[in-house]
Amino acid sequence: MSANTITIALPKGRLVQPSLDLMRRLGLPTDDITEEARTLVYDFPAQGIRYIMCRPTDVPAYVEYGAADLGIVGKDIILEQGKDVFEMVDLRFGYCRFVVAGPAGMQGMPLEHLSDKRVATKFTAVAEEFFSSQGLQVEVVKLHGNIELAPLMGIADMIVDIVSTGQTLRENNLVELVQIMESTARLIVNRISYRVNYAHLQPLIERIAAAVADKEGTA
Amino acid sequence: MMKQRIPRGFKDFLPEEVALKREVERRAAELFASWGYREVITPVIEYLDVIEGLGTGVQPTDLFLFQNRDGRLVALRPDMTVPIARLASSKLRDEPLPLRLFYQANVFRHNVPQRGRYSEYWQVGVEMLGARGERADAEVIALAVETMQCLGLQDFQLSLNHINIFGSLLETTGLPQETKDEVRDLVIRKDLVGLEHKLRGLALPPALQGLLLRLPVSYGGLEVFDRLPGLQAIEGAAMAVDELRVLVDALRAFGVADRVTIDLGVLRGLDYYTGVVFEGYCPALGYPLLGGGRYDRVMEGFGWPNPATGFAVGVERVMLAIRNGGGPERPRCLVAGAELGRVMETARQLRARGWIVCLDVLSRPQAELEEECRRRGCRLVTVE
Repeated sequence: MSANTITIALPKGRLVQPSLDLMRRLGLPTDDITEEARTLVYDFPAQGIRYIMCRPTDVPAYVEYGAADLGIVGKDIILEQGKDVFEMVDLRFGYCRFVVAGPAGMQGMPLEHLSDKRVATKFTAVAEEFFSSQGLQVEVVKLHGNIELAPLMGIADMIVDIVSTGQTLRENNLVELVQIMESTARLIVNRISYRVNYAHLQPLIERIAAAVADKEGTA
Repeated sequence: MMKQRIPRGFKDFLPEEVALKREVERRAAELFASWGYREVITPVIEYLDVIEGLGTGVQPTDLFLFQNRDGRLVALRPDMTVPIARLASSKLRDEPLPLRLFYQANVFRHNVPQRGRYSEYWQVGVEMLGARGERADAEVIALAVETMQCLGLQDFQLSLNHINIFGSLLETTGLPQETKDEVRDLVIRKDLVGLEHKLRGLALPPALQGLLLRLPVSYGGLEVFDRLPGLQAIEGAAMAVDELRVLVDALRAFGVADRVTIDLGVLRGLDYYTGVVFEGYCPALGYPLLGGGRYDRVMEGFGWPNPATGFAVGVERVMLAIRNGGGPERPRCLVAGAELGRVMETARQLRARGWIVCLDVLSRPQAELEEECRRRGCRLVTVE
């Protein structure tokens, strides 16, 4: 957190290209930034910009603890982590949905019949919050990958996961039972640097919001 | 080793930390006392109905609760404002107003430790009971600024708001209470995306919707109000803005106006505060160092209606922010020798001159003593 340099945490993976496109549309430097490079920090002192490339799930931590002023991260991750950051702009890219899915035989099952079942997910906080908000009791099993295998292998009755096209679900003979919510990439900001460095950050945030609205208008 | 564990969220203070903590508390206490605030100490537990009945915005699930021998539920105090209000309304009623009180105390909440806050944490703070108006507010805010300065936090900033600006805007919407709570929660968390989605679905007049979206990102000098002309049309908000203008004038007189920024996004416990609210930040730390404001309704819960204002400083947070800047150290030495009486006499004289003196109680040979002094960074005095 320095008054003259704005540090932005960018997520590797599927959000990196649209994030860099956005930076480019704003006229911010993005030369030589590639995901394959092993470089983690890109400094552009002349423009007063620094990027930190990190794992998507680490972006909120970088921003919460002030290593970065701004960050780009999916709403799915913000929700799951419940971090104390300000969520300033919906960037509209990186669309996906949180759903409850189960084997095809569960299709059309009323919500209350999902109670007392076991659910596998990477997103335990989101799953617990959703089921408890519906007044349902479920047992949540945390898995770190290949969630869609869990019902097939008998680890769980159903899953909570993010889907974008639904392809993976279909391939594993799973059907969507309920949509929990939609998610897109968000611009987040550290709560202290937003205040201490408002004069630099707020104009940039407003430019980002305008660029997003512009693109939306022309699309 | 099971026997060496302590409960999650709690911590030990090691000698260097204690030294720093005491220094922070001493400087704050001396400053508070010099402004006419008097220290009080309250029990670490209070009856649950004392804490709960007053709408202090503390979630019941955050409390450490247990049953007292009298069968009633008691809680470890989650803040000091309520204990002080209880104490003042029962034992200091006959004193001339305003009452100026301060405290150094530990408070307890079930917290997620990752946010730089433990489940037991220490606060120093002041409460001014029985005075309303800009001079009382300005005194407390100026004292908050001076506290940070006397603790050596030079690049400290204070964000100031009036709770009724947002409060009366929200009232104007005429939304059901549940929806108002949701909107308020989004503003407090600064989830601007969620706020925009929520407001879009509510069919509010566009001007009002625009204001609700602008408030959380409005920050600066008094000119922020020039950019929000719509506030003038809402009676409660217009009054609150006027109060802030008068207050900023008073803060200029106190010489602290340059430390203070209007920040309409600062919303501390809306059930509790009734007027000016503020938070203090330092760029070195990712969370507020202090917070406070005016709470004119709390005292009436104790049958002694009186306006009140105050603030609390997070001691551990200040310690994190100043960790590298301790005060001057007193010189240290280790006194050793065969003749105990002469060793003691030498130690007594050195202590009288302000040295910190340890005795060699192990009668070690000279080489070991020299090694020990190297490790501790102190002088060796051998008495022949």
